[in-house]
Amino acid sequence: MKPNIHTHISRRYNAELEDIRNRVLVMGGLVEQQLVDAITALADGDAQLAELTMNNDYKVNSMEVAIDEECNQIIVRRQPAASDLRLVMAVIKTITDLERIGDEAEKIARMAMHLADMERPKNSYLEIQALGIHVRQMVHDALDAFARMDSEAAMLVAKEDVQVDREYESIMRQSITYMMEDPRTITRVLDVIWSARALERIGDHARNICEYVIYLDKGKDVRHISLEQMEKEIYGLS
Amino acid sequence: MDDATTGGLRLSGKKGGVDVKAVIARQKTWDAMFVVLGLMAMLIALVTLAALIINLAIDGVPRLSWHFFTNFPSRFAEKAGILSAWVGTTLVMLVTAVSAVPMGVAAGIYLEEYAPKNWVTDIIEINIANLAGVPSIVYGLMALGLFVYQLGFGQSILTAGLTLALLILPIVIISTREAVRSIPSTIREASYALGATPWQTVKDHVLPYSLGGILTGMIIALSRAIGETAPLIAIGALTFIAFLPEAPITTEPPFVSFEWLTAPYTVMPIQMFNWTSRPQAEFHFNAAAAGLVLMAMVLVMNGLAIYIRYRFRKRIKW
Amino acid sequence: MDLQMRKGFSKPLILTSEHSPTKQNKKTLDTIDNMSPQTPPVMKAQVKNLNFYYGDVQALKNVNLDIAERRVTALIGPSGCGKTTYLRCFNRMHDLYPGNRYEGEIMLFPDNENILSPKVDPIEVRMRISMVFQKPNPFPKSIYENVAYGLRVRGIRKRRELDDKVEQALKGAALWDEVKDRLHNLAFTLSGGQQQRLCIARALATDPEILLFDEPTSALDPIATARIEELIAELKEHVTIIIVTHNMQQAARVSDYTAFMYLGEMVEFGDTDAIFTNPRKQQTEDYITGRYG
Repeated sequence: MKPNIHTHISRRYNAELEDIRNRVLVMGGLVEQQLVDAITALADGDAQLAELTMNNDYKVNSMEVAIDEECNQIIVRRQPAASDLRLVMAVIKTITDLERIGDEAEKIARMAMHLADMERPKNSYLEIQALGIHVRQMVHDALDAFARMDSEAAMLVAKEDVQVDREYESIMRQSITYMMEDPRTITRVLDVIWSARALERIGDHARNICEYVIYLDKGKDVRHISLEQMEKEIYGLS
Repeated sequence: MDDATTGGLRLSGKKGGVDVKAVIARQKTWDAMFVVLGLMAMLIALVTLAALIINLAIDGVPRLSWHFFTNFPSRFAEKAGILSAWVGTTLVMLVTAVSAVPMGVAAGIYLEEYAPKNWVTDIIEINIANLAGVPSIVYGLMALGLFVYQLGFGQSILTAGLTLALLILPIVIISTREAVRSIPSTIREASYALGATPWQTVKDHVLPYSLGGILTGMIIALSRAIGETAPLIAIGALTFIAFLPEAPITTEPPFVSFEWLTAPYTVMPIQMFNWTSRPQAEFHFNAAAAGLVLMAMVLVMNGLAIYIRYRFRKRIKW
Repeated sequence: MDLQMRKGFSKPLILTSEHSPTKQNKKTLDTIDNMSPQTPPVMKAQVKNLNFYYGDVQALKNVNLDIAERRVTALIGPSGCGKTTYLRCFNRMHDLYPGNRYEGEIMLFPDNENILSPKVDPIEVRMRISMVFQKPNPFPKSIYENVAYGLRVRGIRKRRELDDKVEQALKGAALWDEVKDRLHNLAFTLSGGQQQRLCIARALATDPEILLFDEPTSALDPIATARIEELIAELKEHVTIIIVTHNMQQAARVSDYTAFMYLGEMVEFGDTDAIFTNPRKQQTEDYITGRYG
């Protein structure tokens, strides 16, 4: 049963559910922006932007706390059932993953600060940028699927994570090659590796969010199962 | 508006165009007027009653003595007593109670618990209510034809008892039904839900719980019967009896005698009626004394009814 | 009858291999879960195409429902949906009032008899299926006599036997410790919650096969309610229980299976967990989440 937030007998209840949904999306937007800024700072060597990004992380954290508190209140007051319950559970889980994405973005910004002081390579971190754009698209689409409670869209995003993992592995191999060729680049390349890792983690968090969306929409817990089984669950039921 | 005299809650006068204080004062005047009217009505009733009783007492109390209770009626007012009258009343009441109560209670329970709800039962119910309002003399005339002549019981205590039993039967039935109806259906349902049959439910629950109401109704019915004069005159209660019926308990086997059922008799109201129709004033005093005794008997019975109701109400709380 | 094959009963709760963590962790989970795994459900009663009429008014429309043995089945739904009517069919309470008519069957197992059949004596049905009512309704007798009444109706007269059974029943209703010193006091001296437990003891004394609860806690305060819910959880190990409640959270807490009824029809029936987290029908979802109306 797709959740229908409207038409509760209690309009205040409607409003409360609507509110946590919106706040998740706002938090998602903020996190997405953090990610974009962090990648840009890294690619352009913009230390100021990096610092700004790092300083903004507290906003993400306080949003997580606030939304969590509100979900608490809803559980206490309303004892939500069925789809409302799934919504609240999904929100609680999603904001955790969003906050982690925020932390990873902060890490990337920190790496960006280091790299800004160092010598820039010829390709200007193009591969990291490409991975970053890919991951950013994943986060964006995951939030989109959440907003529309669309498990098929979520499924597509989840599949992207496979691609992201491959790209990450390729960057790793490249970086190892660089380090072996020219040991003077090790410091710099290590920072690149940490950034790539952070991006790969963000991809995993985005996939988690998709799993929550599927739970919200279909009522099926699809964590820790393979993609093929996930697909079966979604399409088997619709 | 500092009103030192009101104390308590201080409300300012006007509220949305309505002067609250004036409205309340007006309503309180109506309150006070009703209290005065009610009090006056009650006093008038009480005072009238008191006057009657006091009048009776003034005339009758001097005549109350041990001899009054143990003497037979006589031509001489000073020697006249109510022995045969109160013995007769007691025996007639005994027959009435024994006849009316089992029949009335059984009929009441049948109508409430067993009878199907159809038009036949409705007609029966209407008729019972009507019977309660039939003038008592009609019962006397009917009894004369049926018990005295047709069935040959003669002018005896048995006839009197049965006549009065029929008279009060509707009252007993109705009060039984009311008592049974006051038992909540949840109690019955609980009994049935445990697998009880209708009879078990009646025996273990309906009867015991409504006993208070049934007994009260029975006593009220009897205290009505005790004062009935007209039907008994119709069926031949005598006014001058100088002997008592044979005692129910004898010294020889079978130790119980029913001879007294067929004996001639008199009752208190009739004795009073007889004395008041005599020209001599002394007999009127006798009548007053007898009236006091009769009232005392009724008071005792009603008191008993109230006491029973109180005792049963403590046990049962719906 | 293998209930697991029937529609409406989802698979019992078992960790599948895809979800399970390493074998070591699974062991820990099993010991943490201190509720012993339930044996697969066996059918106690089967309701087939039950229709019920109050005179001309049809109150139940084609209801089909299976009652599992030694489990709690809850009936929820808005006022007037027929859940109490349905419950009262089980112990033939409708026979007490004129103008009621049953159509369809309620098969009782293992006898395989239709208890609605006119050939079956309603009193016999009530001897095997007991009921606890909404408002506590103890008899105006002593506590002992209340519990003993069902036994007396069955002809048990020996004092010692009555004493034993009364004690057992009161223990089963978690009331024994509170009343053992005052068994001969009137039942009215007990509080509301205690009175309801007394009614439960009264119903238990006769070893019923099915125990019917008609909104048993709607007249009680939260503490008494919690006690009785705890009691139901204990009782279900010995007795099959059907409970009607308008408190959905209670149904969620107490029952194994839940049926949602609306306007005399059975809308949805299934595992309580499934119904309250992911119901199949929109109507059920609307009612559970308060979108009803």
